[in-house]
Amino acid sequence: MQKKIIEFTNLLRKSGIRVSVAEGIDAFNALDELSLDDREVFQDALRAAMVKRGDEIPTFDELFGLFWSGFYDNLKDAFSDMEGDLGEMGVDLEQLLSQLAEMMQNMEGDLDLGELAQALLTQNLSELENMIRAAAEEAGTGRIENMLQVGFFSRRTTEQLGLEGAQQDLEALTERLRAMGVGEEGIQQMQELIRKLMETVRRTVRNFTERELQQQNHNYMEKFRREMLTEKSFYHLTEDEIQRMREVVARLAQRIKNILSIRKKRLKRGKLDLHQTLRRNMARGGIPFEVVYKTRRKDRPKLVIMCDVSSSVANVSRFMLQFMYSLQEAFTKIRCYVFVAELGEVTDVFNDKEVNSAVEKALDGGDVINVYTRSNFGFAFHEFWKNHLSAIDKKTTVIILGDARNNYNDAKAWCVRDIQNKAKNVVWLNPESPSAWGFGDSVMDKYMPYCDIVEECRNLRQLSKVVDQIVL
Amino acid sequence: MFHSVEDVIQQLSDQQYICDKQIATVVYLAQQLDKPVLVEGPAGVGKTELAKVVAKALGREMIRLQCYEGLDEAKALYEWEYSKQLLYTQILKDKVSETIAGSQSLADAADRVGREDSVFFSSKFIVPRPLMQAISSEKPTLLLIDEVDKSDPEFEAFLLEILSDFQVTIPEIGTIKAKSQPLVFLTSNDAREMSDALKRRCLHLWIDYPSEELEVQILDRKVPNIDKRLAEEVVQLMNRIRDLDLKKTPSISETLDWARALLALNADELEDQVVSDTLNVILKYEGDVQKAQNELSKLIQKKTAEAAAEKPQQAPAAAAKKGILH
Repeated sequence: MQKKIIEFTNLLRKSGIRVSVAEGIDAFNALDELSLDDREVFQDALRAAMVKRGDEIPTFDELFGLFWSGFYDNLKDAFSDMEGDLGEMGVDLEQLLSQLAEMMQNMEGDLDLGELAQALLTQNLSELENMIRAAAEEAGTGRIENMLQVGFFSRRTTEQLGLEGAQQDLEALTERLRAMGVGEEGIQQMQELIRKLMETVRRTVRNFTERELQQQNHNYMEKFRREMLTEKSFYHLTEDEIQRMREVVARLAQRIKNILSIRKKRLKRGKLDLHQTLRRNMARGGIPFEVVYKTRRKDRPKLVIMCDVSSSVANVSRFMLQFMYSLQEAFTKIRCYVFVAELGEVTDVFNDKEVNSAVEKALDGGDVINVYTRSNFGFAFHEFWKNHLSAIDKKTTVIILGDARNNYNDAKAWCVRDIQNKAKNVVWLNPESPSAWGFGDSVMDKYMPYCDIVEECRNLRQLSKVVDQIVL
Repeated sequence: MFHSVEDVIQQLSDQQYICDKQIATVVYLAQQLDKPVLVEGPAGVGKTELAKVVAKALGREMIRLQCYEGLDEAKALYEWEYSKQLLYTQILKDKVSETIAGSQSLADAADRVGREDSVFFSSKFIVPRPLMQAISSEKPTLLLIDEVDKSDPEFEAFLLEILSDFQVTIPEIGTIKAKSQPLVFLTSNDAREMSDALKRRCLHLWIDYPSEELEVQILDRKVPNIDKRLAEEVVQLMNRIRDLDLKKTPSISETLDWARALLALNADELEDQVVSDTLNVILKYEGDVQKAQNELSKLIQKKTAEAAAEKPQQAPAAAAKKGILH
């Protein structure tokens, strides 16, 4: 049992659920307190001790089903099937085995039966299960990755199990029985039994390997899916993935917020924190040598975001906006502009609406701009320069999101230069890969000299890296 | 004292709290292993209630610590009673002079006073706050740390000592070990994720919205006069509403409120009018109410149409009954 729980713990870890050693020990202790007849209670106990996140519970439940569905039961089914088959052929398995046992006791000389052959003849299934598990481990079945390997690992497991040897043992036994004068009918029954036993063992081993594959595959699939989402290019997201991505973005944003709250430091001036001051100065008889203030440091950047919302970069803009919306508290002020050719401010939309509808509304132009035109970065920046330059001061970080595909219009890079002169820094996120910058109608090369940070931002991992840089 | 998982279910049910095996298992384990329980789940599914009920069932005193942003150890653990200390110094001035009378030098006097300084830093001058109370209580208590996710991360770190060793360290006095180990429940609404260190020390319990069957049982228990059929309908509708994409999904407490409201209005079945009049009992945002209204009126119309098609002859009887009620 212990071994199986450790195995299960490893499986959980492989699937991305973090289970510490202490939690494993808790699980053991918990099981000591409970009767294990009730599968549900068993599952609940393991879950309470090992799984500490709400969103990991479904994975746990699935793996639990896979792991604990009882290979032993499978084995039992296979052997009772075999008994039925033999019965149809007129062989009473129980009777045959007990006769055999009796004869074996009376046999002269050493009877050289291997462990496996013995387990098979005595129908010791739990022993057999252990042997199959050990053999599978030796054969490295844990490394199985796809369907095509089932045959290979099954064969290796049977080899490790020493099935051939067991067959020889049993055949040798049959020969001795013949020598002892057992009739032809008995010998035939015996041969039939051996054939069936071999077949059943092979089948259960294959079954075991397939289950192993399922378990391993689960980790694989799960990991694959997660990696996919953060690595997947924003250009190729399906509707469903956009939905799921929202959750991922929300989680990432939450993580950054947590880090931020830890890093807040107390200020050196502001409102006096009487409690803390007295407490801190107890050692000096309550005379406040050391003064503590309530106010905490607010080193929060101002943010101006300019998002290209033309269809080619809409997805990047979507998640960027969601990120920034979720992180509002991290900034003193966020102003948000969208553009295709015209440029409009959508900050109000963010103040009034909840996150998803706000983002969608902004992507739709927020009633202020026409999104069904051709991109013109130069025009948009010029508009900003004319009407909104006052939004920028020396504490402001400006984030520009766009592919800089300007449809051969005038780039007006000097607008970006002026913006950079006024701002703390200018960050440009481009969803295209750097090799494409400056080719065709891309004017990225014209803007680049006036940006402090230029990053490729094609998937969630890159996006969160950039956000980390800006916020922390 | 709980004797088994089934016993937990039974005893909690005696306290009017219906729970499933999952909850019972964790509660039982918490008692057997002396481990704190971190209870998470959506708002209003009975996390705090669980702690209260367990305290009642075990006959323990419940000590509650409500967490909020800015909660610090002075408010959670202990505080020195400065004024009392000062007062004592004033009153005992003579005694102090007596102590140092006859001392040969200043150093000698300081030593003499120093020998007595434990007087002023003793438990006499400590105001115990909830955590301290729970630990120093003679009888075993139940400590509820409510909405721990609302507290600052620093506070969380400070909880660790208490949760793993059931002891607190006061620099001036030393370490105080629990006289009796309290049973600890922490609740969290997932406003932020708790640190791994904290989670590792706790058993984890995720309470979700209950199954329909369980929710009907809860309704039946908590709102005794409710008609069985009405209860079922209410629960069905609630589950429908929970599937909608709402800003605040209603939970069990809302179901109970709603059932009580319906009873107060003498409604014996869910009609379009009654439902839309009482929707604001369960939904707290105008946008949500709108969404739910559309969905529900569709559902109820369909239902009444089905019912009418099934038993047309019974319709007049139902109408007559309604006449009496109104």
